Amino acid sequence: MTGRLRHSLALRIGAMFVLVVVLAAAGLATYLYRAFVAEIERRDDLQLLGKLRQVQILLGRPGAAGLLHTRPDFFRDTMSGQENSLVRFVAANGTVLADINAAGERYPVPPSAGPAPQRASIASWTSRAGDPGRAVAGSARLDNGRLTVVVARVYGERSAMFARYRVRIAAAAAVSALGAALLAALLLLRGLRPLRVVAEHAALVRPGTLAQRLEVEDAPSELRPLIDAFNAMLARLQEGYARLSGFSADLAHEFRTPVANLLGQSQVMLAQPRTAADYEGLIASNIEELERLARMIDSMLFLARAGQDEVVLARQPREALEELRKMADFFESMAEERALRMTCAGDGTVLADPALLRRALANLLSNAVRHAAAGSTIELRARQYAGGTELSVCNDGVPVAPAHLTHLFERFYRADSARSDAQGSTGLGLSIVRAIMDLHGGTAAVHADGAHIRFTLAFPER
Amino acid sequence: MPILVIEDEPKTGDYLQRGLAESGFAIRLARNGRDGLALAFEGEIELIVLDVMLPRMDGWQVLEALRANPATAQIPVLFLTARDEVQDRVRGLELGADDYLVKPFAFAELVARIRTLLRRGPVREDALIRIGDMEIDVFRRRVRRGAVTIALTAQEFGLLHLLAQREGQVLSRSLIASHVWDMNFDSDTNVIDAAVRRLRRKIDDPFEQKLIHTRRGMGYVCQAQPAATA
Repeated sequence: MTGRLRHSLALRIGAMFVLVVVLAAAGLATYLYRAFVAEIERRDDLQLLGKLRQVQILLGRPGAAGLLHTRPDFFRDTMSGQENSLVRFVAANGTVLADINAAGERYPVPPSAGPAPQRASIASWTSRAGDPGRAVAGSARLDNGRLTVVVARVYGERSAMFARYRVRIAAAAAVSALGAALLAALLLLRGLRPLRVVAEHAALVRPGTLAQRLEVEDAPSELRPLIDAFNAMLARLQEGYARLSGFSADLAHEFRTPVANLLGQSQVMLAQPRTAADYEGLIASNIEELERLARMIDSMLFLARAGQDEVVLARQPREALEELRKMADFFESMAEERALRMTCAGDGTVLADPALLRRALANLLSNAVRHAAAGSTIELRARQYAGGTELSVCNDGVPVAPAHLTHLFERFYRADSARSDAQGSTGLGLSIVRAIMDLHGGTAAVHADGAHIRFTLAFPER
Repeated sequence: MPILVIEDEPKTGDYLQRGLAESGFAIRLARNGRDGLALAFEGEIELIVLDVMLPRMDGWQVLEALRANPATAQIPVLFLTARDEVQDRVRGLELGADDYLVKPFAFAELVARIRTLLRRGPVREDALIRIGDMEIDVFRRRVRRGAVTIALTAQEFGLLHLLAQREGQVLSRSLIASHVWDMNFDSDTNVIDAAVRRLRRKIDDPFEQKLIHTRRGMGYVCQAQPAATA
């Protein structure tokens, strides 16, 4: 049960609700009962005081003293005519002048409270039958003397009435609590229905149905944040899933060309007897294709791992200019063949994994050397900015349309399809650059101004 | 003493056996871990090339068994893995492997690593290297062919020195990039080709006898004899 209580929202809220209702009903019933009792008692006490007053008035009449001796019960009868009214007259010297007490009750005689007693002077007592009684004493004048009048009453029917009232009010409270609980259960079932609807929708989500969204319109406002968050999650999943499947499709496509070459040229070569030189040429050509495939696999694995944050960074502070010079030195021969000049400038320290830093820079320079206009200059620059160091590679080349620019860092994206089979290019170089920058918490950006294109890597300080 | 190759994939086993034999090594080939271990315990093994993914008894178990036995504890082990996970590499090296290669690898790379492990690779530490009519003065960083002094940039000299030190060995582009420029990743291979072309323009182009040869699909080799294939 505690397990179900902990796990079911409806049960939990229901139980709490019932508890609240029971407490409220019990509190209300108690309050009503108490108020009722107090009111009745107050009324009875006032009556008792009224009787005392009447007796006092009667005693003030002429001839009252004789009447007290001859017909004492007259006093009682004139008061209210009730059997359970007790009256006692006590003289100043303590002599009981008259005692109207048919049932022979023994009740305490409270001290006289003067001519006008208040409620506070009323004393409580218990009758022989166990019923509550009240008694009050007041002074009165009789002829020229003074005497004490004690008026008492037994409230037998009142106890019975209170008992009946208690039962009824308890029953009413119990019934209302029960009714509230049932109502609560019903309302909860209805109220939580949107949650079940959300759950049912969520249960229907499949890779193919990621485009569907949960309805926000009909949902209660409390559930909207949940549904919005759920829908946002679906959108992210959909995007990620689309990218992944697009990537797989691209990948299969990219693998096709080298595999087709391998297959085709090998089959053609084997179809007829060839010279050893032909075979050697074939094998060497096959090796080139295979190396390309191997590089693609390597890049893919790197991207997959970077995406899963499985790449462990060994960050070290590096002189930015020194790294740029090393990279320029590495590409020097290749640049020279295209009559390109390379300049390095700037300063700053880069906090990066050295191997990954070089890999990113090498990919940028490889692009730059490939695409720069023959005879132009490639500028490598380092610049410190508030919060980190920025490395940039700029070159002049064929202008890249702004529409292509934002896609350059995407996998297999090529701005110019005619360059797609540029030797050694896997179409993954720039996406690796971006993955490396993501791993470092930095950014990779590209800006173009006509034929001038600049790639910028921003490494944060920490 | 022979090299033991433990590899279950038939084609891989075959080409490793053939390629290493042609590179001048005596080879024993085992197709699974148990057989490999048995061969190793027979003795007379100089180095073990161990595939990690093996049937029945995997490479890690073989490696542990080898290291646990005093007779085989000292044999250098180079392991081959298709899973380039960091923890795999760490595990292999922790278990006592001496080096590793991730599949697919360039064959020349494997040969170079084996030579390094055996310290047999004719890496010439001489101060003066002579190949054909070429003389390399390592300390003064001067190169002559016959009577002609050739001026090289620091980078060109580093490349020539690397090739000359390993005279007759085919060096893969990635090995060259790693040794000369400290670029330890699969970079743009055209860079190495361009660098070798530039070096050749100075070292070979003006002379009859060519010293730096291309091994297509493999890499570059420096030797006086004309290469079997150009």
